[in-house]
Amino acid sequence: MLLRLDPSAEEPLFAQLVAQLRLAIVQGELGGGERLPAARELAESLDVNIHTVLRAYQQLRDDGLIELRRGRGAVVATTPGRDYRPLLKAIDAVVREARALGLSSQATAALLKEAFRT
Amino acid sequence: MNATLSFDQRLRRRRHVVGAATTVGGLLVLVIGAAVAWSWRSELPDPVATHWGAGGQPDGFSSLSAALAVLLGIGGLTVLFLGSITWALGKSAATLRVGAAATVWLSLFMAILVVGSLSVQRGLSDAREVGSINGVLLVAILAPIVLAILVAAAVPGDPRQPTTAPVPADAPRVRLVDGERAVWINRASSRVAYVVAVPIILVTGALAVWGGAWPMLIVDALVVGALVILTTFVVRVDHTGLTVRSTVGWPRYHVPLDEVLRASVTQVSPVKEFGGWGWRVGRDGRVGIVLRKGEALLVERTGGRAVVVTVDEAAKAAGLLNALADRARSGG
Repeated sequence: MLLRLDPSAEEPLFAQLVAQLRLAIVQGELGGGERLPAARELAESLDVNIHTVLRAYQQLRDDGLIELRRGRGAVVATTPGRDYRPLLKAIDAVVREARALGLSSQATAALLKEAFRT
Repeated sequence: MNATLSFDQRLRRRRHVVGAATTVGGLLVLVIGAAVAWSWRSELPDPVATHWGAGGQPDGFSSLSAALAVLLGIGGLTVLFLGSITWALGKSAATLRVGAAATVWLSLFMAILVVGSLSVQRGLSDAREVGSINGVLLVAILAPIVLAILVAAAVPGDPRQPTTAPVPADAPRVRLVDGERAVWINRASSRVAYVVAVPIILVTGALAVWGGAWPMLIVDALVVGALVILTTFVVRVDHTGLTVRSTVGWPRYHVPLDEVLRASVTQVSPVKEFGGWGWRVGRDGRVGIVLRKGEALLVERTGGRAVVVTVDEAAKAAGLLNALADRARSGG
């Protein structure tokens, strides 16, 4: 799993971390029951405060994506029925159709955003 | 003191010194063992017991000189074999330590086993009267472990050899924007190790109990221990370089970023290239953390060293390591 942080971006570091870990879980890179890296280790590698990582982990727990267990650290939740594959398939289809129509990613994202509003 | 020697010369000298010292030491252990046993020749029965069967009773006998010839012959060949591997392939401290520890353990194990089993026959007129040698076996397995660990710890670590040479242009890279921080973390684990090891443990365990050679159960315990610490590793690439660490915390292998020449993806065939699975030494003395066949991360390192880790997503790991090395060397 590749994680990147851009300190010059507007988005706070913990939010960047949340977004990337969420992506890794949704795309199946991190499977149910798999352990996330130790917070201290991740903080050292990314040169951030350990509380930044812990805050990201807490956010993911609140979103129901991971479980925080004493002694075992952070583990990807194995919620039955939470299968991201159909969603990923649908997204693939959206990208394919958008490309065929020559729509840019921004234009397609704008359409998606619009769809969420209704 | 070593200022006049180049780095490569120092590395070569180190593996030659360690290889020669452990070979000479191992041979010396065998010769001393044989000499001690020979000095007992007037007190030993003729023939002496040399093999014990089920139930701990002796079932194989030979003359003392033949028994000692076997010790010196087979033991000597084993020591020479392990010593020459250490001499020729010990480019990394990790490889040298394994070679040195194996030589020390095996020579002491064989010497203690033979000398010990003869010492309990002193004063007997008939070797058939000797009982079980489980106690000797226990000492022969355990005592050398302590010394082997001490010798491995005494092997000097890898001297630092940073490079400023750029990573080759054709090496894979992950694109990083200025100031971006990145880490790649993955787990490498082995199922095949359990498939292979568990039946062996069960069978040898059953034989040990059934045959009455209960100290062999310690060997099983050691295999289980090795299985636990050598089958799951966390592999990490970040601004410090590459770190491969057992989930238990040890053993650990680290390549500092400034010693990375090039990282790439390779395909590994465990048996053909490394003679099996686990923490291995392969062709050209490369260190292999080989847990399955197929995709692996290959990191070529200064001093002619290299490490191979079988891990998924190796392309991302290699790309990030090369990109981070680029950045560090361009002064960013």
